[in-house]
Parts: sequence; C-alpha cells; structure tokens
Amino acid sequence: MGSIESLYDKIKNFTAQFFGGKGFSSTMTGYTTAELQASVFLLVLASLFRIFSVPLGIILVIAAIAGVIVFAPLIVTLERENESDLNRVLFWVVIYFAIIIAVTMWGR
Amino acid sequence: MSAVATNLWTIPLFVIIPIITAILLNLLYNKSRTIKVIAIASSIVLFVLALISPYGFQWFTGQPGVTPGGTYTFDASIFSYRLSLEYYFGGLQQILITIMSLLLVFVVFLSASSLRKNIGPYIALIFLLFMSSAIIIMVNDFYHLWIGVEMGSLLLAGVVAASGESISQKAALKYTFFSALSGAGMAIALAMILGVTGYSNITNAIQYIMSDNLSSLSGVLYIAFGFFVLSWIYAGGLAPIHPLKSDVYGSAFPHATVMLQTQSKLMIVAMGLIILRLFGTLPFAREVMLSVSVLTMIMGVTMALIQTDLRWTLAYLVVAHSGLVTLGISLGTVQGITGGLFQAVNDIVYMSVLLICCEAVMYFGKGTSIKTVGGIAKRAPWLALAVVIGAFAASGVPPFNGFQSEIILIQASLSSGLPEVAAIVLMVSVTTFIALFKPIYNIFLKPDNSPIAMEGDAGAGIATMAMVQPTSPVPKSIYLFLAILIAIIIVLGVYPQLALGFVQDTAIKVVYFPWVP
Repeated sequence: MGSIESLYDKIKNFTAQFFGGKGFSSTMTGYTTAELQASVFLLVLASLFRIFSVPLGIILVIAAIAGVIVFAPLIVTLERENESDLNRVLFWVVIYFAIIIAVTMWGR
Repeated sequence: MSAVATNLWTIPLFVIIPIITAILLNLLYNKSRTIKVIAIASSIVLFVLALISPYGFQWFTGQPGVTPGGTYTFDASIFSYRLSLEYYFGGLQQILITIMSLLLVFVVFLSASSLRKNIGPYIALIFLLFMSSAIIIMVNDFYHLWIGVEMGSLLLAGVVAASGESISQKAALKYTFFSALSGAGMAIALAMILGVTGYSNITNAIQYIMSDNLSSLSGVLYIAFGFFVLSWIYAGGLAPIHPLKSDVYGSAFPHATVMLQTQSKLMIVAMGLIILRLFGTLPFAREVMLSVSVLTMIMGVTMALIQTDLRWTLAYLVVAHSGLVTLGISLGTVQGITGGLFQAVNDIVYMSVLLICCEAVMYFGKGTSIKTVGGIAKRAPWLALAVVIGAFAASGVPPFNGFQSEIILIQASLSSGLPEVAAIVLMVSVTTFIALFKPIYNIFLKPDNSPIAMEGDAGAGIATMAMVQPTSPVPKSIYLFLAILIAIIIVLGVYPQLALGFVQDTAIKVVYFPWVP
C-alpha cells in the first residue's frame, strides 16, 4: 500500500504546483474542470484509433496518459492554441487540410 | 404532398421577399416605426409561406430536362439531365425554414425595439442572411451553392460589424479574411467536380460519379473532397476555424447571434449532406468528417468551461453543438443522419432560448459577465426559469428536446460500432450542463453584491451601450418569445415524431438514393 500512497502523493504534489492561490474562484474551478475534461477527451480520442488497429489504439492511449501527466496543465496550451489570431488559425487550417488530403489519398 | 412540381411558386418567394424587404428597409433607414411594421409583416409572410408550402422543385431559367432518349421534359419525377438551376423544397427544408422564419419574426422585433440607430440597414442585413440560408438549404446545383455560401459569409460579417463596437468589427474582418480562402476552396472543388463529371446539377453529378468508371480521375475527386470539407469547416465554424466563429457569435448582439447560429446550422446541414451524397463512397471520407466533428465538440465545450461571460460561454457552446449536428451526418447511417438533422432543429431552438435570455440580462445594465452581474432571479424569476429550461434542453435532460436528439446520436454511434463517440456525445452533454450552470448560478442565483451599476462589461467590451439604455425594463415581448420557444422545446421533447417525420425522409434518401435531393 505504501507504494500506491507514495505514487498518489507524487501525482498530487505534481499537479498541485500548477494551482497556486485561491483554488475555488469561478475562474479557477472552470479551468480545473476544463483540465480534467480535456484529459479525458484526449484519452477517449486516443482509444478511437483502435478502429484502424487495436495495438495502435493501446499505444496511443499509453502515450496519451504519459502526455497528460508530463504536459499538464493541458488547458493552458489548449487555450493558447484556441486564440483567434489569423496566423494561428491559418496554421491550423493548413495542417488540417494537409491531413485531410493525406488521409483521403491514402485510402485509395 | 406532391414532389414533382417543377415550378413550385413558393420557392422564388423565399428569395425575392427578403431581397425586396431589405431594399425597402435600407431606403427607410431610421424610420423605426415603418421599418418595424414592414419587417415584421414580411417575416410573418415568410413564416406562413414556409408553413403552407407544398413540396416540389423550381427549375429556374425555364429550361427543360433532357432525357437519355433525347426528348425534353418538365417533370421532375422523370430522370433527365437538368440544364437549369435547381431548387428543392421538401420536409427538411420546410422544418428548417419554418423555424428560421419564426426566429426572424422575433429577431426583427427585438432589434427594432432595442436598437437606436441604423435600424434599417441592420434589419436589411438580417433579412439577406435569411435569404442566403434559404438558398443554401434548398439548392441542388453547384453554382447557387457557391453563391449562397459566399453571400452567407459576407452577410454574416456584415451583421456582426453592424453591432458597432471595435471588437465585433475586428471579429467580422477576421472572419471575412477566411471567406476568401474558403470561397476559393469551394470554387476549386466545384470546378474539379464540374471538370470530372460535366454537370453543374448535383443530382446529375452524383449519377455520373456512381455510374461511370472514374478510376483514372478519382485523385481529382479526392482533392475536390478536401477543398469541399475546408469550405464546410469554414461555413459551419468547425475546428480549426472555431475560434473565429466563436468570436463572431460572442461579439454580435445576442439577438443577431440567434440568426447567425441558425444560418450556420443550415449551412453545415446543407453542405454536409451534399458532401455525403457526392463523396460518401470515397474511403475515409466519413472518418474525416467524423474527426472534424469530434474535435469541434471537444474544443467547443472545453473552451466554454473556462469562460466567465455568459455570451462567450454560449458562443463556444454553439460551436460545440454544431459538432453534434455534423457528427450525426458524418456517421452516414439513416439513424445517424436523422439524429444529426433533429439535433440541428433542436439546437437552433434551445440555443435561441439561451441567447434571448442573455439579451434580457443585458437590460439590467451590468453586461453578462459573472463578475459584474448577479441576483437576476430575484428581479426576474420567469427569466431565470427560462434560462434553466434552456440549459436543461441543451444538456440533454428529459423531457426536453435536446434529450431526444442526443439519445438518437448515442444510439447511432453505438450501432456504428463507435462506443467512444457515444461516450464523447455523453460527455459533451454533461460538460454543457457544467459550463452553463456556472454563469447561471453567478448571474441568476447568487446575490448581487456589486454596489455600482455598470453600463457594459469590461471583459466582453461589447455592444451593451449601443443597444439598450442601462437598467431599462426587460420588454414583455422577450417573455412571449421565450414562452413560444420553450413550448416548442417541450413539445419536441415529448413528441419527437413531430420533427422526425420531416427529417427521416431526407436521411433515407441520402443513404439509399443519394442522387435524389
């Protein structure tokens, strides 16, 4: 049990460092909820890749778990990438378009 | 109802009446009383037309179809190569245009009551927005589709810019920049399809693709699909364009956003169905559409959670729920498409309730931020009840309409072997509830502790001052409109078959007879 508690404490301390100050304001609770939602969404999305290949889905879920722990808080990155700067949106449009064409052509 | 009339008299009226009204209103400019009478009368006429219209086709330019035998026909039920520009009015068109014209009555009334200047041009733009949406949902040829999408994008930017604040003009300008990219993309896609098939009529192009061996030209179709999807993403405000679209929704007047979100829903439905009919057989086409839908939902609800202003929360939720509509269409099954189309109908209604409630909150003179406004439930209990019902409907709580369409989407996802997608739909519903109840609690239920009444919310920095006098009473008409919309929410929640009857035929045709509009 000791090892489980120590892992729990480790993760708790690791995540706590991102949340300084008053932790129960409307803004803070919104960000915390969004962080949890984003993490779960990412894991579910990763698991969706099992429709192409089950091993691929498993690998991506493990990678997503690692990514969630290493890159937390995700919501900050997500918020930054969701800004409406023209350059940023254009960048993502080009990426999406390239992926759409690549995936569709691959299907031939 | 007959579906073979080739010159259905109501179809041109859905285009001509808004144009004539817009010209008149523009000429009248600031004569608010006359503008109000003409605009409301015109919107009621459109509503009645949509309600009573039979089903059928309109072949503009009067050219007959050419049968494979070389003879000519004006009968739409006979297979022919159609040279003319073609519109179709069926069950799907009827329910969507009826709801949009009902909302047009409300929006015209609200804007005429609340605006103090430039009323004529502003309402004229709203009528033209209605016209572009009606064109897009009825069209069955590539030329008019492109024209409708282009006009719709520019008119949307016009309505937002007309809100008169710098933030809204900036949002409109950014959105317009991308219309150049997307419009050109769609033009390229249509040119490619036209080049491959030789037909501008969508029905004829689909028949050609399905019946001829296009193996040497299929690469062209794949590229055309990519450009078409890009345009669909832009028109519907799907990921990755959603930051621009949410800017547009959040910075316009809430009553204008009612029309803007309705137009977006009609665009994603119309274009989504055309993409499915044209490219549904291409490998990975549906998967691509599904990925865009899922990402849109995730981005939309997650961003909605971190907002501190009711307007911006709604702006992101409108985006997220567009993803629910496209998700159903992307599944490509009868159940999925039915769920997607029904979700579009429901989404338009419950989001309109929430947006009109948001507009009503602005009448208390403190904006719509959770930081500046509170205690509204004590001063306007009926408004609080309306916003809670709207939130329940949006979150898929029974017996409201959102529940019925979301349960169909979940069942369709499970039937398609995609339990993960069903889980995401469920999570979007729950997250919608959380995202909405944060501002609802703060604005309606929490006591108002701020001593100074502010005219506008500094966070949102938008059109409060331009629209209404601070702390002016909420108009009785808002309560009437909310009551009508809530009645629709409850009726569709209890008797979903009322709406499903209109959309199921379309879903069956898209899956089994994609060439039939």
